[in-house]
Amino acid sequence: MNPIQLFIISTLLLVLGAIVTWILGNRRELTSKLSTVFFALSSIGVLSVVFTVFSSGTAQLNAPLIEVPGIDSGLLLRIDLLSALFLGIIALVSFMVALYAVRYMNLKIFADLSLRAFFPVLMIFFASVMYVVVVVDMFFFFIFWEIMTLASYFLVIFNKRDKDTLRAGFKYFLITHIATALMFIAVIIIYLQGGSFSFDALEQAMQSMSVSNPGLLHLALLFLFLAFATKAGILPMGDWLPDAYSSAPIPASSAFAGSMTKLGVYGVIRIFVDILPVSDFSQTWGIIIALMGTISIFVGTLTALVQEETKRLLSFHVIGQMGYIFLGVGMGVYFLNVQPVLAIVALSAGVFHLINNVCYKSCLFFNAGSVVWKTGTTNFNLVGGLHRVLPMTAVIAVIASLSISGVPPLSGFSSKWLIYQSSIRAAITNPLILGFGIIALFISIVTLASFVKFTSTLFYGKYADNNTKAKRKEVPLTMMIPQIVMALLSIIFGIVPILPLKYVHKSIASLLEADFFPPMQSIYGTDSLGGLMTNYGEGVFAVWNPLLLTLVGLFCILIAYAFYRSGSAPRRADTTWYCGEEHSDEEVRYRAHSFYLPFKKMFRIRIGKYEREGVYPSIGYPKITFGNNLFKRITDIDKWFYDPLVNRFMALMKRFSATHSGVPHLYLLWLIIGTVLAVVVLFLLAGHSGHL
Amino acid sequence: MSLSMENLGLALFNLLLVILLSPLLEGIIRKLVAIVHSRIGPPLYQPYLDLLKLLGKEEIVSSNNFFFRYSAVLGFGAILLVALLSPIAAAPPLNAGGDIIVFIYMLSFSAVMIMLSGVTSESPYGVLGAAREMMMVLTVEPVIVIALIVAAVNADSLQFGAIIAHFQNNPFPLSMVIVGIVLFISIVAQLARLPFDIVEADQEIMEGPFVEQSGPKLALFKWMFYAKELIFAAVFVSIFIPWFHSEVFIVNFLYTLVKILVMLVVVGVVHVVNPRLRIDQAVRYFAVLIFITIIGLAFALAGS
Repeated sequence: MNPIQLFIISTLLLVLGAIVTWILGNRRELTSKLSTVFFALSSIGVLSVVFTVFSSGTAQLNAPLIEVPGIDSGLLLRIDLLSALFLGIIALVSFMVALYAVRYMNLKIFADLSLRAFFPVLMIFFASVMYVVVVVDMFFFFIFWEIMTLASYFLVIFNKRDKDTLRAGFKYFLITHIATALMFIAVIIIYLQGGSFSFDALEQAMQSMSVSNPGLLHLALLFLFLAFATKAGILPMGDWLPDAYSSAPIPASSAFAGSMTKLGVYGVIRIFVDILPVSDFSQTWGIIIALMGTISIFVGTLTALVQEETKRLLSFHVIGQMGYIFLGVGMGVYFLNVQPVLAIVALSAGVFHLINNVCYKSCLFFNAGSVVWKTGTTNFNLVGGLHRVLPMTAVIAVIASLSISGVPPLSGFSSKWLIYQSSIRAAITNPLILGFGIIALFISIVTLASFVKFTSTLFYGKYADNNTKAKRKEVPLTMMIPQIVMALLSIIFGIVPILPLKYVHKSIASLLEADFFPPMQSIYGTDSLGGLMTNYGEGVFAVWNPLLLTLVGLFCILIAYAFYRSGSAPRRADTTWYCGEEHSDEEVRYRAHSFYLPFKKMFRIRIGKYEREGVYPSIGYPKITFGNNLFKRITDIDKWFYDPLVNRFMALMKRFSATHSGVPHLYLLWLIIGTVLAVVVLFLLAGHSGHL
Repeated sequence: MSLSMENLGLALFNLLLVILLSPLLEGIIRKLVAIVHSRIGPPLYQPYLDLLKLLGKEEIVSSNNFFFRYSAVLGFGAILLVALLSPIAAAPPLNAGGDIIVFIYMLSFSAVMIMLSGVTSESPYGVLGAAREMMMVLTVEPVIVIALIVAAVNADSLQFGAIIAHFQNNPFPLSMVIVGIVLFISIVAQLARLPFDIVEADQEIMEGPFVEQSGPKLALFKWMFYAKELIFAAVFVSIFIPWFHSEVFIVNFLYTLVKILVMLVVVGVVHVVNPRLRIDQAVRYFAVLIFITIIGLAFALAGS
């Protein structure tokens, strides 16, 4: 089977799954399990497509699946290496999310919410996400982008009982649709120049525009960038993200963090590296992308530090981490025209960080989900000491936290190292970029601070006994496996960074002419252990050999352990010492709120009477009410479509049930009437055919 | 890969030096402090006795989890790895394994282990100490990072070997003088010496993260600090005081040792004549230092 066919079948499986789970929606357990099966099948299909594409090159359809007459647009699919890379990530995330959701969505807190609003929507969401990365026609790109946005909107407002959720959903809907409108304008601008929506035509149109009408091209690029940056959660356009992520149920937040926000990066790379011809434009826009990324790193992460709710903390970190990715990609775009060697390293660093980010960020969302599963809350100040009931989750949370904070040898460090060293190298060409790099380095320590708070208040410290629910054991296996897989990937990609980097390099190099970038060996060196030795043509610049260091480090730890046991000191278990005073558990807990107060005070904004903590100027959005809550009613499909339908049907069935009176004579009468009717019908039929 | 015999020997040398010599330096500082206090003070080998005694002492386990148990082992192991990444008397033995960014982050790994030992101990003093440690890292680390980046920009390489070779053969620029002075102050803080003895602050929060550590674990943590002292001093003197170096290894080593001793004597004097700062004072203090290093960086980019 050719890869495209397999891809279409895999995505159709998801659509079929959506229909099946919608029909069976009331049987919660069955729906959840069935959806996992569908996700598993489609993931296997898509992953095999990814492997085929990486081994045998780009796969594409020769003729469009659907043609739109009049505007020269058709549903053309092409899976090149970049698409394959993103498809691989999406397939992995989709299966992990589905597996995690099986038990999570059957929590008691969701008992009164219909799963019809979750699993089918999730499937449509992932199917559209997959199509976004493979279409090569701007018109259909736009359509799938819109389906994805709508599906994600319905996932955000899943918990409709909550007023805040609906408001967060509305904010999300509004902001992303403004962005989509901008994208539409940009596409129309370029379309009017080229006359076709296909990516190839866009490239030619941009080429001619860069000479004939550079101002208009800048405008189109601005709109496209705004649209993608909004989706990626880059501040200030990403203002929707913390609200929407913390309102959605955890599997959905995890799905967004693992796939949807990353499509913003896909869009940026597709437009600014692949479609936009390498020129002064890439230089200008590279700096803008990197600048916006740095702003997000700074504001997003510092704001995360003051959050006191797990999901909000994680979603501000999504913004911060997207900033790192944009910084890498922006540097790469900038250097395309200046120094291609540095360009490919920075681009690879950005995309590699994206892959790592998917792993540890989904893992952290799953950890937060496990805490919800156990205690029913996402508030840091209400829980503590959960390592006693969630020992495995606690260790995994520490691993993922260290990875996101960039502690070697975990994956977050490998990609951040690439970003830092290329920004330091860039200092000679452009000191501004070194400034970005230093901010990124500093904020990486803030990330660590924030996750020390995250793990220590959730999992360590004094065990909060006031949670009566917390008597159960560790989370079930289906919730454990996704966490373990993601944590393992974080470790593996950290120790053997060359493994993912090989594919990242390949897919980015394939976007431009074959000899535009130097070959991989000449940049990273040929180390037998897969270490990275970046070389920009003037000798080795920076070195990071994680496998060697891990082995040596393990040896060092062995020495340390030998010292530890050298005196064969006896061990004795005892209680914690509180200066010998009587105390209640409550008195000896160190709350999340108290962490880093002196440091947080440094980032206090004060203008006249106006004073606020933190650097994030969260803009309150106006409460817009449509007369009689029209908007709310439109979006609530259950209310205007499903519920009335069910009610009519039930009313009809009630009439039939009137025949069940419980009197045997009446049943006999029905039997006789029925038999007579049947005989009459038979006779009539026989009369027509002539014999019996 | 450069696993030559020479490198292997150098690696062994660094490890032995960090493990065996570092307590002696601590002993010297203690003696110095005693002299300033007009006391007789402990003998120079007292830190060795302390460590030996602690290694055999009973270990009290007050919380049953992985990181409480093994944070000391992991932290000490990480410091040994840092010893292999850092230049003591010669280029680092693992020059082909990691550059200055890796060096800085491996150092932060040991800080993370101190924090984990604090937060996993269930004692509020431990968590408080860990939060303070984090704040110190937050404000001190940028200074060290930028100072080393200035060195890297001047030498146009991130590798210790190349940076040291660069300054031995080239004039010493103004930017390095600026960041060198600032780096020295922040090293005092990294070593948890007064006036930046805020994390342990034994009179306030009873050794902070180490309040529940006992026996061999406490020994490893103490040893880790001694080793850190030696490593920081060695890195500082070999990058920022590069003059009059010799090609003969043993001469160079003795010369480095003298430089380290002089530096630690200065650290000791600063330690003994200063009272402890509060954490918020320290944070503000380092905010100023970060600003100065950025000025140094601007000088470096301008080429001087």
